[in-house]
Amino acid sequence: MDFFLQLAVSGLVIGSVYSLVALGFVLIYKSSDAINMAQGEFLLVGTYICLTLITTYNVPFIPALLLTLVFSAALGFLIERLVLRPFIGEPVISMIMATIGLASLMAGIIHVIWGFETRVYPPIFSQEPIKLGAIVISPIYLWSLVIVLVLLVLFTLFFKFSKMGVAMRATADDQQAALSMGISVKAVFAITWAISAIVSSVGGVLLGNINGVNSSLALIGLKVLPVALLGGLDSIPGAIVGGFIIGLLESLAGGYLDPLVGGGLKDVVPFFVLVLILMFKPYGLFGKREIERV
Amino acid sequence: MKKMWKKLGLSAATLSLALGLAACGGGNNSSAPATGGDAKPADTAAKPADAQPKGTIKLGGLFDITGGTGDVGAPYAEGEKAYVEYINSKGGVNGYKIELIGEDYAYKIPEAQKLYTKFKSKDQVSAILGWGTGDTEALRQQVAADKLPFVSAAYSENLKNINESPYNFLAAATYSDQARTSIKWIKDNWKGSGNPKLALIYNDTPFGKSPIQDAKDYAAKIGVDVVDEQVVDLKALDATSQLLNLQKTNPDFAIIQQTWGATATILKDAKKLGLKTQFIGLNWATGEGLLPIAGDAAEGFIGVVTHAFPYEDLPGMAEVKEYLESKGQKLEDKNQKFIQGWVTTKIMMEGIRAAGDNVTGEGIRKGLETINNLDLGGLAAPVSFSADNHAGTNQIRLAQVKNGKFEIITDYIGH
Amino acid sequence: MTNRMRNPFVMECGEFHVNYKQETAIYKIARVRRRVMVILAFFAAFPLIFGDYYVGLATLCGIAAVGAIGLNILTGFTGQIHIGVGAFLGVGGYASAIITTKLGMPFWIALPIAGLITAAVGALFGIPSLRLKGLYLAMATLAAQVIILFVISRWDSVTGGTAGIILSRPSIFGFTFASETSYYYLTMIVLFLTALFTMNLFRSRMGRAFVAVRDRDVAAEVMGIDLFKTKLLSFAVSSFFVGVAGCLMGHYTMVVSPELYSISVSIEYLAMILIGGLGSVMGSIYGAVFITMLPVFLRMIMEVLGTYFPGLEGVFVGFREVIFGAIIILFLIYEPDGIAKMWKNLKNYFKLWPFSYNR
Repeated sequence: MDFFLQLAVSGLVIGSVYSLVALGFVLIYKSSDAINMAQGEFLLVGTYICLTLITTYNVPFIPALLLTLVFSAALGFLIERLVLRPFIGEPVISMIMATIGLASLMAGIIHVIWGFETRVYPPIFSQEPIKLGAIVISPIYLWSLVIVLVLLVLFTLFFKFSKMGVAMRATADDQQAALSMGISVKAVFAITWAISAIVSSVGGVLLGNINGVNSSLALIGLKVLPVALLGGLDSIPGAIVGGFIIGLLESLAGGYLDPLVGGGLKDVVPFFVLVLILMFKPYGLFGKREIERV
Repeated sequence: MKKMWKKLGLSAATLSLALGLAACGGGNNSSAPATGGDAKPADTAAKPADAQPKGTIKLGGLFDITGGTGDVGAPYAEGEKAYVEYINSKGGVNGYKIELIGEDYAYKIPEAQKLYTKFKSKDQVSAILGWGTGDTEALRQQVAADKLPFVSAAYSENLKNINESPYNFLAAATYSDQARTSIKWIKDNWKGSGNPKLALIYNDTPFGKSPIQDAKDYAAKIGVDVVDEQVVDLKALDATSQLLNLQKTNPDFAIIQQTWGATATILKDAKKLGLKTQFIGLNWATGEGLLPIAGDAAEGFIGVVTHAFPYEDLPGMAEVKEYLESKGQKLEDKNQKFIQGWVTTKIMMEGIRAAGDNVTGEGIRKGLETINNLDLGGLAAPVSFSADNHAGTNQIRLAQVKNGKFEIITDYIGH
Repeated sequence: MTNRMRNPFVMECGEFHVNYKQETAIYKIARVRRRVMVILAFFAAFPLIFGDYYVGLATLCGIAAVGAIGLNILTGFTGQIHIGVGAFLGVGGYASAIITTKLGMPFWIALPIAGLITAAVGALFGIPSLRLKGLYLAMATLAAQVIILFVISRWDSVTGGTAGIILSRPSIFGFTFASETSYYYLTMIVLFLTALFTMNLFRSRMGRAFVAVRDRDVAAEVMGIDLFKTKLLSFAVSSFFVGVAGCLMGHYTMVVSPELYSISVSIEYLAMILIGGLGSVMGSIYGAVFITMLPVFLRMIMEVLGTYFPGLEGVFVGFREVIFGAIIILFLIYEPDGIAKMWKNLKNYFKLWPFSYNR
């Protein structure tokens, strides 16, 4: 029983990190119907900036994080304006390729500025594991869990009650109608990218604290895609639940199935799940079905 | 507005086409004399009567500076370039100047393929210094067909097969030999009752799986029980499920075949779960880069050391120090991978030295095969090659992390 | 047009067809046929003019072009996005490796069978396309990429696991295609056949059905096209050529291993057809050449710049990725129809010169 509980708990907490990254995908898809293949690079920029502020300029962690968020928002704005705006309403392949191109562009610039060696945050979160009975959790993951839950509440409130949030939902629903109601769709897109960049850099800072920062961290973006699809690409609760489910499945598959097949299944499970979802519930658990008319 | 873009596009197209044509023309024009020019030094090389230097020996270098293994590939490449510069400052090898044509392939195999074609046909190199498992595996058939000796930092046991890979040389102990030697060390130092229990942790790549079967066979032979195997992805953020399974069999030792990131994950999660297992990492799990990532969890970790750390006081370090001082650099700023690149290049140079004036790929292969017990001043285990053995050594040292630093705990040992 | 006295520099200002046969002809004007002959002659003579290095690069371009044409059939002509080409190349390479080394059959049998096996795998992963389209289908093919590589590296008894399989160069009547030049000719023949087949495919009913599905699938269905069958067939035909390219590549490098077929390969192929021109056979070839040669040219440029600004190596390191990304984005913004369209514009410009007017 302890074995199962430990697996479940560690799966859930790592799932919270996935949720955080998946949230970035969902926010963008929700308003602009685009999938951002450069999500991993957004995350990398955020964590590198925070790291540089802390180690080179000796800024304490909290102010450094806040500065990072401000910078990420600006970067999100800028990229939406310069790169993505021409692709609004273009076919899906253009959008996918444009963000793949963006990923390569950003990766190149990141490599020029920060190089390739693995950099490490000074210890910010306690290294001592927290014990809950027989179960142990690393504090960093607990923080990640807390942040995800806070963000979930914040976004739910934002989309429900704030004017901007309502405008975003309206835009996602029907761009034409939103435009005719006097909503600036362009502003909505820009703000979406900014928020998504902020969420990504929070995820990046957490991931950087787990295992150091180097350019391969960007690959988490690809890994988290199944999470976003499981929950439904346009659902915020979906992203969060999807993250927990994938985290849990990975951990349980690692615990129970890996010994049977000789290991390695843990990292492929999300993609098997992805195929199954696509076959049986293409729009995810909480996603909205598209209706097509000729 | 639209018209303007069309026009712009059109003129851009014309321009780029013209540029492309110009570039093509330029490339062809420059290439024709270049190949002609290349042939000349080789010709003069054949006639040693000419003036100093006798000629240039070209080596191809496949580097990963910007790819997935760039954090260890960059210092390794730097060490390779440094040794070539050093040997040239000493008058080259046998009076030949050495030219290392190094290119970054970013751990992308198609790029490595293109670079290889360039080295072979355009630069007409005599030998190649490779890098990882990917390029070494992808090119081993071609280097055999083109008769170009290939020395890299991929230490897979299957490269030992002289019939399949007649032009690959292993400059350090193979992963399998590293694992075997570690297992022998475990057996020799085992004080408990019964056989020591061992687990193997690796990843699902050619690199990760390379030593596993050999390790199991050897363990069975000398009486070490392999009780568990776990697969942890190279990019894993979490290894809790694997370590929980590992805990069930409670091994005394676990051999890790990973790079720094996954090793750090394993060590941290093991500490979190309170595992008592002693972890032993093979050469790519070991190195300075592990320590900051793993933090306290690295304490007590044992690593296989194939090449010396720059902070060790060894006779071989004098050359490195001399070179770095001439460049105004410091030994303290270098790491173990720099030394590894340096030593690997040095071994290649010894092969070229032994080849004499026969500086073709075949000649260098023969030269390398005459190397017997080459003393590397403690920077690495002495290496020997022969016509039927291209594995330079099976010897390694072990180091343990004490107070946040790798301390050597054995001399060079083999199995 | 029959005027024999005309100025040789003045070209036909347009095409005039009186029946469908003329309209769908591959060579619409006699001059084009002559030009194609000249181009083919150039490619035949290529190894006689250039050194091994350029022949080797041309071979790599040719292999990439076969794969790119394959991908273009699916993505460019049928509109189904495919992010798993890398793994499908792997299926082709592995199929051929297993057929030639384990079953001992010659390359000439292995090449089409490898294509057929890849076609079957392609059709299998094409099944979700019944319900999925656009982004969601792209994700399904991404999953195919991961799952196929997992299977390859795990099915040790057949694939040799992660260690890979060693192949040999093909041979016929005692002649082995060992040299760069001989393999170049082999590749070019396969490329020529692939291009010819594909061009003809889109003159057939099936090819037009592919295009109809791309343009508006619901409308195509209403017009009596069996959507599922058409999509599956497109997956199969496309994967066939990708598999053939994988087989050619495997025998060229003489080794197959899972590391050769990563996601970055898939992205390169997508970039090829995008930059070359979606839905264009010649565009696939231009794109394959462009993407294959881009790093080579960039390296040349960097070498030249490096001699003038020796301190800047650190900046050049990321240069290649920046350029690759920037080129993709710029093409998408300014010429979404790729090099093929640019080439056409250029031709039109000269066709109408000096009486061109801005459309």
